[in-house]
Amino acid sequence: MVVEEGCYGGKILTIDLSTKEGKRQKIGDSFALKYLGGDGFGAYFMNTVVSPKADALGDENAIILAPGLFVGTPVPTGGKTSFFAKSPLTGGWGEGVMGGRIGFALKQAGYDCLIITGKAEKPSYLHICDDEVKVKSAEHLWGKSTRETSEEIKKDEGSVIVATIGIGGENLVRYAVIDCEERQAGRGGLGAVMGSKNLKAIAIEGNKDIKVADPEKMMSLLDKWYNEMINHPSFEADGKYGTGEFLEWMNTERGTFPTRNWREGVFDERKEIDPYYWAPRYAIKNKACIQCTKPCGKAFVIKGSYEGMLDGVEYETLFALGSNCGNASIEALAKANELCDLYGIDTISAGGAIGFAMDLYENGILSKEEVGMELHFGDGDAVVSMVEKIARREGIGDILAEGVKKAAEKIGKGADKYAVHVRGMEPPAYDVRAIKGMGLAFMTSPRGACHLRSGAYALELTGKFWKYEGVDRLSAENKGKEIADMENFMAVYDALGVCKFSRSIFLLEAFGDLLEATIGKRMGEDELLIIGERICNLKHIFNIKCGWKKEDVKLPAKIREPIPEGVSKGSFISEKEEKKMLQDYFMARGWDKKGLPTKEKLKELEIEEFMQ
Amino acid sequence: MHDSMYVKVIPEKCCGCMVCEIVCSMYHWDVVNPNRSAIRVEKKSVVEDIQHVCTHGKECNFECVDACKFEAMIKKNGMAVVDYEKCTGCKACEKACPIHAVWIFEKKAYKCDLCNGETMCVKHCSQNALEIVR
Repeated sequence: MVVEEGCYGGKILTIDLSTKEGKRQKIGDSFALKYLGGDGFGAYFMNTVVSPKADALGDENAIILAPGLFVGTPVPTGGKTSFFAKSPLTGGWGEGVMGGRIGFALKQAGYDCLIITGKAEKPSYLHICDDEVKVKSAEHLWGKSTRETSEEIKKDEGSVIVATIGIGGENLVRYAVIDCEERQAGRGGLGAVMGSKNLKAIAIEGNKDIKVADPEKMMSLLDKWYNEMINHPSFEADGKYGTGEFLEWMNTERGTFPTRNWREGVFDERKEIDPYYWAPRYAIKNKACIQCTKPCGKAFVIKGSYEGMLDGVEYETLFALGSNCGNASIEALAKANELCDLYGIDTISAGGAIGFAMDLYENGILSKEEVGMELHFGDGDAVVSMVEKIARREGIGDILAEGVKKAAEKIGKGADKYAVHVRGMEPPAYDVRAIKGMGLAFMTSPRGACHLRSGAYALELTGKFWKYEGVDRLSAENKGKEIADMENFMAVYDALGVCKFSRSIFLLEAFGDLLEATIGKRMGEDELLIIGERICNLKHIFNIKCGWKKEDVKLPAKIREPIPEGVSKGSFISEKEEKKMLQDYFMARGWDKKGLPTKEKLKELEIEEFMQ
Repeated sequence: MHDSMYVKVIPEKCCGCMVCEIVCSMYHWDVVNPNRSAIRVEKKSVVEDIQHVCTHGKECNFECVDACKFEAMIKKNGMAVVDYEKCTGCKACEKACPIHAVWIFEKKAYKCDLCNGETMCVKHCSQNALEIVR
């Protein structure tokens, strides 16, 4: 009776924008226990609803939204919601996880998953108020920023929570995001999928009670974990400096802070983009995802030559719009970040694309005429201008809005050598030339170069985490099982909706009690890891059906060039190491040499029906 | 015991996590539902979050008690408390409250009762954005 007595909404809601028809299905206990929620539900429905042959920006793609199992409960940091669609950036599995309140509202409306198919005839938004669902005109909102859209819909609808796109999504920028209260489902262009459906926003008002199986136990666990969180060393570090707290360490102690489109692994001009510099000056207080007792966000008020305000700047953005563009101006960086949020585009891919264009410019592949301006590394104002151009698809921005892989194909002239991506996805801020396990994780992540599907950077950079010890980041040995294990581990977090910054606090052990309190069913580490493995395999199956081939899984050319300076000087990943790590991973996964899951493995995971 | 005690809000520190709303409804009603919470966070802008909660006479003259025609809002130990047997959800208290710290949901009024002195919201605020004032 986990669905009835636990913290589930109990139903899946499907809306077809073409016909404006809705459908509700109940979920049963066996389904809930097999997939948990969040990424588990996403993995199931992506494989059953979305045609892998679909054009990612066509009617046949779907947008799926699934709050994690713990969303809507008091579980600290358990408020994450996942969005899914076939990615217009990679042509395969697309997902983004956010800490906005939209999933909480969906659950309160009585749903554990929302599936949106078809295409609206005109700009529209979806309004869900408990059992009532309406598709409404958004013609007056088209062209508006994420912030304005959210405010206007709230004015009209009252107490709704709004997830919306900006002009980036409208203009089909292939890395447009979905934003909910300054939190983003950031990667892979899910915002462009909404744009392609003429869907400007999803507004949800939920008024129902969210139950937990054992309220008394829940309250005592809340006390316990609240105290664990606020007494954990990361509480102060995250609270004072946010996710960029370890920037200096990444740069100086590890030499793995990618700089100037991955030319270097250290950024000498980093002083002002380090949160130890900017947080005391510009951050006025902390900002949190819903349910979080260990906030890492910052309310940032930009002063000086630029004005504005944002929730940020996160570590990955300090790299992407900062070091990757050689940009040492925190004001320009924060402004570019704010514009990315308002226009609804991914800061990591945007910074990847701008750094790529700067590299081409400095190497004579792009001219001043083609760009419409000078575009040197280190020019913060140019970074701000380029964000504008990309979001509006103006001039060179139209090409860069395609992502570096497609942009390099359009530009030609050897531009692909400078395009840093894996399967079309621009990577985050970990110079994998000296974090080799993360190099493998970039290749095996279902959404392309990604740090969060494995979260193995922490393990690789410190040498230990969970059951691993003595891990050598500079070695390519024994990485297959490590990355597969970490991916399974993290898939559990994404199914439960738990923040990955809690992973060293909860590990998997804590979830036994927390599941007992929330759904009345205790699950041990082994049981959870099987679910994690099932989810990872389902994501891979979706990719295979989209045309994934082992030959397309490779690290960018820049990863073959040794890091030129810093403590990791000389390190790189050779072709031999790359191939070996990938084979080790396939073997650890129980897949064949081509990277295809074996029948036995799928049978073991009870998902054999998905691979026919 | 509650005479002149109240929860003071410090919006400059509020991170907008909504944990106060969640624990309030959980503690009192065994469910999570911000509509049943006696403290509410208003997200005004990217950098402004403001909590609303009753200050038990500190910023008012118990207008809610005077406004209630059903003797459902009663003064007890220096606090206004709801008698749920009598409350009809008529909204008179909600309208009368000068600081917008009483809410009606499904025909019942919700407002702070200091959790028998446990003040769960204060206890679980990671940012010290809520304080007990005696």
